[in-house]
Amino acid sequence: MKFTSVLLTVIVAVTIQVTFARYTVGGSWVFDFVLVGIVFAGLQWGTTAGLIAGTMGGLLQDLLSGEIVGVSGLAKTIVGYGAGLIGTQFVLTRPHGRSIIVAGASIVHRLVMIGLLGLIEQDWPGVSWRAMLWETGLNTLAGFLLFQATSALPGAVARRRAGRRTSLSRRQW
Amino acid sequence: MTDRRTLALLVTVCLGQVLLISAQVQSREGLPLIQVAAFDVFARVQRVTGGVTDGINSVWTQYFGLRGVARENAALRQQLLDLGAELQRQRAVAAQTRSLEDLLGLQPQIPDPTIAARVIAGNVSPGTLTVAIDRGAADGVTPDMAVLSGKGVVGRVIAPVSQHAAMVQLLIDRNAAAAVVFERSQSGGIVFGGESDGTLLAEFVPVLADVQPGEQVTTSGQDGIFPPGLTVGTVESVSGAGSPNRQIRVRPVSDFSHIDMVLVVLARPALPGDAGS
Repeated sequence: MKFTSVLLTVIVAVTIQVTFARYTVGGSWVFDFVLVGIVFAGLQWGTTAGLIAGTMGGLLQDLLSGEIVGVSGLAKTIVGYGAGLIGTQFVLTRPHGRSIIVAGASIVHRLVMIGLLGLIEQDWPGVSWRAMLWETGLNTLAGFLLFQATSALPGAVARRRAGRRTSLSRRQW
Repeated sequence: MTDRRTLALLVTVCLGQVLLISAQVQSREGLPLIQVAAFDVFARVQRVTGGVTDGINSVWTQYFGLRGVARENAALRQQLLDLGAELQRQRAVAAQTRSLEDLLGLQPQIPDPTIAARVIAGNVSPGTLTVAIDRGAADGVTPDMAVLSGKGVVGRVIAPVSQHAAMVQLLIDRNAAAAVVFERSQSGGIVFGGESDGTLLAEFVPVLADVQPGEQVTTSGQDGIFPPGLTVGTVESVSGAGSPNRQIRVRPVSDFSHIDMVLVVLARPALPGDAGS
């Protein structure tokens, strides 16, 4: 059940990423919704889930982008495990607290990617701080909306059920 | 116990991926078969999501975007008139060129066959600048074919190419390059992508070549990918002129932030060495 949820999260995240990225190619709007999905999986279901989500999401990104397979996979595996570890060590229930983890994960992920590419190409690829800032900001915003939606959803469903029950009992009375 | 198992899994997965990276770096090749399979499967999803977003976009532009149509109509009429006048001027220039070609005994260039393709997905990994198109091997698309927009060069087809989809590496990607010629000074060079501001960096340009800002940059055809004479962009700045460390920045003519439809050139230009073979 947990594996299916993790798999579904990764597939949905990759689909959203490619759909939105189509309209922002080459622009300054840089985002990584796959990373948001991985952090979500890590915080929601723990270290193993974060690790698996990171590996699957990263490898899928590598395979689809035609890059060296394993670079994004490795970076996202570390980030997913880290997010899961933080999720188990600290009590993070509020959406803004969880979205800060997304912000931190975005920076760590980008730095790991730069380091790995630098090692592979034997050349420092250079850091675009502006792009990194945009990516962190947009990822954090996406994470906040996601965590807000997931925390509000059970309450909304319960309220709706309670409302339906009340109206039914009134009708009976 | 579970933590130790997770830690062991983390180490195994990381080690596996490091070995995977090392194998590819050594052989300088990717994992073609798995990449093609994964790309093929996901291209179907991308086609559906692309269709859905296009549908929503179409409804938006057709029903909700009617507010500015009257104003746009008037502007388009004016533009049509201007274009008519421009067409007349261009016809005169073309007639002049044809007669000059006849005089010089030049054969008019036969345009290469092209195929129109729709962009169905953007770059899945934020670090890479690639897009997926809805044409693949079944349409005759193979890696290293040139991809153009209405304005000029967009990029080239890269592996993986599946039956009905292909990956296009944009010219501004850090691994992209094209052989070019500067129109005014007629000096050659190679432009590379990867600049954070979206410009291209020209290298291997002769030190004594007099390259000036505003100069048109076109493809030279020397790379065996892009046919000669296609617009790449204009020279934006030249710093350190006259020194070996001169930096020439070229602003691409294509708008990479909004690519909807592209043309894939189905033939590759013949290199000078190919003539005899």
